[in-house]
Amino acid sequence: MNPITSSAVSRPASYMWAAAIFSFLMIALVAAPSLAPKAFPFLQPLKVDTDPENMLAADEPVRVFHNEMKAEFTLHDLVVVGVINEAHEEGVFNTDTLGDVYALAEFAKTIRWDVEREDGEPEQRGVINIDIIAPSTVDSIEQAGLGSVRFDWLLPTPPETEEQALNVRTRAMRIPTLNDTLVSGDGAAIALYIPITSKDVSFRVAKALRGKIAEFDGDAVYYITGLPIAQDQFGVEMFKQMAISAPAAMALIFVLMWVFFRRLNLIVSPMIVAMVSVIGTMGLLVATGYTVHIMSSMIPIFVMPIAVLDAVHILSDFYDRYPKIKDRRKTIDHVMKELWQPMLFTTVTTCTGFASLAFTPIPPVQVFGIFVAIGVFLAWALTVTLIPAYIMLMPERAFSGFGMGARGAASDHEATPLARFLHGVGAFAVARSKLVVVIFLAALAVAGYGITQIRINDNPVKWFTPNHEIRVADRALNERFGGTYMAYLALSAPQEDGAEAMADEIDTRLASLATPAAQTLANQARAQRKNAASADDLLAKLRTSAEAARDASSEDDDWYAWDDTLLALDAAAQSSAVFKSPEVLRYIENLQRYLDETGLVGKSNTVTDIVKTVHRDLYLGEEEAFRIPDTREAVAQTLITFQNSHRPQDLFKLVTPDYRKAVVWLQLKSGDNVDMGEVIEAVDSYVIENPPPQAISHDWFGLTYINFAWQQKMVSGMARAFLGSFVIVLILMTVLFRSFAWGLLAMAPLTITIGVIYGVIGLIGKDYDMPVAVLSSLSLGLAIDYAIHFNVRSRQLHRKFGDWAQTAKAAFGEPARAIFRNVVVIGVGFMPLLLAPLVPYQTVGVFISAILVLAGVATLLLTPAVMTIFQKSLFPERSVK
Amino acid sequence: MIKQTLIAIGAIVVSTSAPVYAQDASDTGGQDVQTIVERASAAAYYQGKDGRASVHMSILDSQGRERTRDFTILRTDVGDVDNGEQRFYVLFSRPADISKMAFLVWKHADTNDDRWLYLPALDLVKRIAPSDERTSFVGSHFFYEDVSGRGPNEDNHVLEEVTDAYYVVNSTPKDPDSVEFASYKNWIHKATFIPVKTEYYDAAGEVYRTYTASAVETIDGRPTVVGSKMADTRIGGETRMSYGDVAYDLDLPDDIFSERYLRNPPRRHLR
Repeated sequence: MNPITSSAVSRPASYMWAAAIFSFLMIALVAAPSLAPKAFPFLQPLKVDTDPENMLAADEPVRVFHNEMKAEFTLHDLVVVGVINEAHEEGVFNTDTLGDVYALAEFAKTIRWDVEREDGEPEQRGVINIDIIAPSTVDSIEQAGLGSVRFDWLLPTPPETEEQALNVRTRAMRIPTLNDTLVSGDGAAIALYIPITSKDVSFRVAKALRGKIAEFDGDAVYYITGLPIAQDQFGVEMFKQMAISAPAAMALIFVLMWVFFRRLNLIVSPMIVAMVSVIGTMGLLVATGYTVHIMSSMIPIFVMPIAVLDAVHILSDFYDRYPKIKDRRKTIDHVMKELWQPMLFTTVTTCTGFASLAFTPIPPVQVFGIFVAIGVFLAWALTVTLIPAYIMLMPERAFSGFGMGARGAASDHEATPLARFLHGVGAFAVARSKLVVVIFLAALAVAGYGITQIRINDNPVKWFTPNHEIRVADRALNERFGGTYMAYLALSAPQEDGAEAMADEIDTRLASLATPAAQTLANQARAQRKNAASADDLLAKLRTSAEAARDASSEDDDWYAWDDTLLALDAAAQSSAVFKSPEVLRYIENLQRYLDETGLVGKSNTVTDIVKTVHRDLYLGEEEAFRIPDTREAVAQTLITFQNSHRPQDLFKLVTPDYRKAVVWLQLKSGDNVDMGEVIEAVDSYVIENPPPQAISHDWFGLTYINFAWQQKMVSGMARAFLGSFVIVLILMTVLFRSFAWGLLAMAPLTITIGVIYGVIGLIGKDYDMPVAVLSSLSLGLAIDYAIHFNVRSRQLHRKFGDWAQTAKAAFGEPARAIFRNVVVIGVGFMPLLLAPLVPYQTVGVFISAILVLAGVATLLLTPAVMTIFQKSLFPERSVK
Repeated sequence: MIKQTLIAIGAIVVSTSAPVYAQDASDTGGQDVQTIVERASAAAYYQGKDGRASVHMSILDSQGRERTRDFTILRTDVGDVDNGEQRFYVLFSRPADISKMAFLVWKHADTNDDRWLYLPALDLVKRIAPSDERTSFVGSHFFYEDVSGRGPNEDNHVLEEVTDAYYVVNSTPKDPDSVEFASYKNWIHKATFIPVKTEYYDAAGEVYRTYTASAVETIDGRPTVVGSKMADTRIGGETRMSYGDVAYDLDLPDDIFSERYLRNPPRRHLR
């Protein structure tokens, strides 16, 4: 017996105590700083992270740009409150509902509180009340009789008459930035957009809003949604998963083991192994400062079945052998000798599969892979010590009547229906070996086609089940509004033009003045253009000179002539304000129109919408005036008119004050990555076919885009990680079997399993999303296990019998039964994940079960069939003893 | 509070720092609070019978990004009555793309002001409907009402404190629905009656908007605010205004304060 196991068998009680103390320490290590952070500042408390943004590292360029743009355009994360009233014929536009909406918006303004920052300074958190978008907080520009325009709150006070209520709708729907955003396209519903200081306050804000909404007794239904809300909810559901599904899986595994082994006290041992492995791994995760993220929350559910897997092999073998040997110590000795090598190798391959995830570019996936690998290794160490130790601690009499065929059947091979069934399977695989191989190859071919049909797609909102309140709200609002998924297209002019271009601009403008003063300054400009360091430098020099000349003028006419040259200089300087140019604005307008026509975008908002709306209302609200004016001065004056409103700062959410950057705010009805990808492609192809009138670059940001970006990285990263670990496992197998042919044979069931699983995913149209991507590593780690066990045992048996027919018969005895029991225990054991309220966990549950079943089937049918066909080369004569 | 510029008498630089809370609130020199507020309004908005100033406005947003506006402002008091009818003519010169944009206000003591806007690039004179005057003045942190002055009769005033240098007056609106603040507090300089600081409070009693007169000079013998700023914590940032070429009692003709002159600026009076 190997030294580790023999040590455990000699001092079983010490090992059990050590495991107990280890678990207790791990729990204490996490509980102490989490419950009393002040008392243990040197320890890491439990940190939960439900932000999908963190799928990308904090310094990832996509994310850095996202945060820079958010800051530059003062865009905040939003809580969205949709208000729908189906009981009233005018929807929400009645005095009661609008009165409630008014009250809700007023209340939302007060959801603020102070917290103390780490440096001791107070910081205000909660709702950013100045940026709330609600009927009572936005301006309406409109005609006010006698050729007057008016900026007025859309809903300054709660409406007193039904007419006033309807008027809110009429006025809002005239304003493109509000229509389909604040008021639904069908004119029946309203959505409030409540910006918050940071995502992590959304729970408190939403709770306060729900409290206020509960006071209303109208017919309206309120939907609270938005990505921050979804994330908070995700955190809640994540813990539900860990608290309900994982223990349920454990209970089911326990029941199944009881069905197979019928000894309650014996099957407690794999449970102990699983518990200690999970506690150890999660404890280590938290204690080393990693967050419990959507990915890392799945670690227990992955570690548990793998932890049980080896224990089931030991128990299965023990169960089969004990009736013959009738001595627990000797039986353990025998079992461990037989299983040591396959268990070690299955552990190494599983660890390899998961550890390969460390090479993906997604930090949470790296953490997940590494810690599952650690958990698997821990489980192995515990299995080879605790299981034998536990058996030794049980009195010998506890085993009376234990084991297969113990109740007096003549031969264990014939004892049970399971044994008879597996022998039948073995006989079939050997007799019809060619047919079996052909069937598997055909399956692989179909799977190959299926893989080409795979659609790579994900959407964090769809991580909730279809009838979850988040999904219900998502559907309700996206049916009625332009869309709740925000993506932003940043348009930027390149860095400043050089002094030369500025000198040309100045020359043109001064020449058109045609005054002696302008002529004088133009001459100076020509003299200066060569030695000016920059455009700003040139301007500053000329400005100083012209100001001196102006201030020295005694005559009014001279003074104004010089003032005009200064005006010309200022105009030249302003030529860099790219997004005041009518040409550029029309380009954006056409891009918006094009995006509308593609049907991919629910709605877009840009600075052009503001320009057109104000321009229209300056011209008596006539529809033909709903256009971009023809000069940059006219654009500027339209925009300054807008800035005479209650919310001038809204302009700078669409364009920067220097008019060098603008943003196209897109509302999408779907957060699916494929849809985002199509929009990106549409914009790219538009820009190629329609080059902008000035040099403008475009780039994306916004959470919908971030999700798209990390998935792109994930897919390519996963493919690399998978191929890398596939090669490593193949090398390991070749080393283990000291034969490339045997190495390839071991890889066969795994290849079939992964091929068929992904083929099915492609054929049934299930999106290749985050959990599906992670599954490739899992199947690599699990599917190889059965092949290792089967192949190692077949070789051992062949050495004993020297003949394939007898070997095959023996292999379908205990080894096949161990594999079968494993498939059932773990395959069924994952089913409780279907009860999880989050789709990724359900996906994992279904596919792990499918992977295990397939891997089992492939191992028990394909492997013996191939062995039959190639028996001469796989079992050369000299190996026979 | 552009008109604070156009005011004046006496050479004092008013310090806004640390008022001394030593004196008894009854020491008001025998004036009731309404009188103090009216005198402050007159000192801030009605100095001389008319006036002119060139204003440089610097709008700094929460990210420290600057936008500027340069304009000349002409004012006349109709009949030279303090706290009475007034007219303003504001002509923008910079940035270049809003050059010659003009703005005319007929301020009425007891009704809403009449306002017109001329947009030269669109060749359009627009009347701005009499409504809310607490909207931004050309994108700055100042409101229209800060520029033209809030009538002393629109609020209820309480003299909260009298310090060595200031009357501290707390004012609450008579019509709370028409304004965004719950109250405001004014530090009125005792010697000049110039309001040197105003704080606006929201319903929670927190200051969100602060006006400060940052520089006062004596021009034509009148104490005149030549630097002021308005900060707003809700949107962040602040707007600073500095006043040059201040002159009083120029005998500005009444007719330049009319719609006709919006298209043709009265150059002679503007330089």
